[in-house]
Amino acid sequence: MEIKYTTLGLLLYIAIAIYFLTFVIRLLRFTKLAKALYFLGFAVMLVAFGYRWYQVRHIPMQNLFEVFLTLSMLIYPLSIFCRRTLQVGGETTDALIASILLVPAGFIFNAEPQKLPPALQSWLFAPHVAVYMLSYVIMVKAAVQAFCHLFYSPNSESELPVSFEQSTYRMVCLGFPLLTLGLLLGSWWGKLAWGDYWGWDPKEMWSLASWLVYVGYFHFRYMFGKKHPRINSSWVIVGMTVIIITLLWVNLSKLFSGLHSYAM
Amino acid sequence: MLLLVLSIVGAFYGSEKASQFFNSLPLIVYWLVLMTILVAGLVTFRRLIRVPGLLLVHLGCISILVGAMWGSNGGYRLQKKFFGIDKAPFGYMLIYEQTAENSIVAEDDKVLAKLPFSIYLEDFRMEYYSSRSYLLVENQNGDIWQIPDEVGAELDLNEGKIKIVRIFRNFKIDISSDKKVTTDAAGAGMNPAIEINIELPDGISKQKYVFAKFLQKSYSDDGLKFTYVSQQTSAVKDYFSDVIILEEEKQIAKKTIEVNHPLHHGGYHFYQSSYDPEEGQYTVLTVYSDSGLNMVYGGYLMLSLAVLWQFWFRHFLTFFKRYRNGD
Repeated sequence: MEIKYTTLGLLLYIAIAIYFLTFVIRLLRFTKLAKALYFLGFAVMLVAFGYRWYQVRHIPMQNLFEVFLTLSMLIYPLSIFCRRTLQVGGETTDALIASILLVPAGFIFNAEPQKLPPALQSWLFAPHVAVYMLSYVIMVKAAVQAFCHLFYSPNSESELPVSFEQSTYRMVCLGFPLLTLGLLLGSWWGKLAWGDYWGWDPKEMWSLASWLVYVGYFHFRYMFGKKHPRINSSWVIVGMTVIIITLLWVNLSKLFSGLHSYAM
Repeated sequence: MLLLVLSIVGAFYGSEKASQFFNSLPLIVYWLVLMTILVAGLVTFRRLIRVPGLLLVHLGCISILVGAMWGSNGGYRLQKKFFGIDKAPFGYMLIYEQTAENSIVAEDDKVLAKLPFSIYLEDFRMEYYSSRSYLLVENQNGDIWQIPDEVGAELDLNEGKIKIVRIFRNFKIDISSDKKVTTDAAGAGMNPAIEINIELPDGISKQKYVFAKFLQKSYSDDGLKFTYVSQQTSAVKDYFSDVIILEEEKQIAKKTIEVNHPLHHGGYHFYQSSYDPEEGQYTVLTVYSDSGLNMVYGGYLMLSLAVLWQFWFRHFLTFFKRYRNGD
């Protein structure tokens, strides 16, 4: 662990503090103040994201530091969208997750700017990674709803008139097309960059596995979901676990070496 | 579920072993069974046919499987046996500068296929990320201008228009033949240089090389003095192979192959893969046959449109209709 004595580091630490404070104040039910703080945290993250973009001269999604920065930045707009459009709540947990996501970026991952290697100099770099980042954030939120469904009483009401199970379903419906697009854009890019649309790379295999978990979720929910709603939610939590493995274990572990190893 | 488990198992194998595993006979049987199940599902569950999004999702998956199987090693064996199509699924081409090549070879240099056309390598070059490098231009009045060392950078002066045409990290010139050939040799940047084009006021153009290690001490005929200040990094920005496609000695097309910009010709894709690390005199292209690719891409398109429609746009349309009806 190391403290980043840079402008970007400072912005991250401020954002961590604001997001965590948002979480605490929401728990204490000071809703208006929490909303204002949550927005402020997002504003700080937006500045950090823009600053990093200017610093590296390309969209900041190349390594794990930039990925976690982006993930945290995306949470606030997603929260608002889900509340207004899908009637899915959970902003309290969202703020906590935004704070947690910034901890490895702020203290662990290397933030040294890197030049883009030739393979990443493609117009597909931004859409492939951005779409995946957005889908991951959505699936995290889905997993939180699934967790609430499993570990709270099934009859308890959530903040809004949509059950946890239904909220989970809506979030997965929102994120699944993005997960699909991420997988297909990555395959297309692989063909352009390396010659093969499927190289059996560990990252590709785990990405396919994460996609298949949600395919399984939809099939199970359609066929048996009404009788076994708790298993529906279990699928989503398994999906989140596979996503975490795809994002972290594959990149960080020496167990999996492949073409995606540069994303560290 | 089985495919999910196989994917996780395959992830632990690593690329090469996973490729062998998923192309082995038991897995070929599995792929065929999976495809049969998908087709049977379409026939059995009428809803899959009635609902456009679901139909397209499953058709997309079938198309991807068919394309992938057609483009697999087994697929190539079937192509050769039943249709007489003899293509190499994968291989390499090593091409020296100023020479043509039409053989696809394996890693052990065994010739896998001969192409009905040749690829002529005009030039192989590399571009590096350079920082704080620039060209200084001074006239006889003592005025100095600075332009960044970027190809295409221009400076318009009374004495003439100066344009940077090429940047060399390690300039070398081959004077063994009648035609002097300049190259950017691979390896450390031992002789950085810039090629500039000077267009004089009378319309005459001339070419000049400015070397970072050999300072110009006096003004040249055009009244200008050039100094190249080079502070190069070792980070490679990109690799380029300038090639010409020849069929029966005739030039068919010209292209620059670089990473993310392969050449597609004659049923093959040619990718920038490697190069001569010593002198930069040859390039290595990875060659892939495009069999089955259109079916795979077609499947991708169907799958993308299907999920977007089924999970997003269908609901937006319903919401919009309700909104219009005042619900």
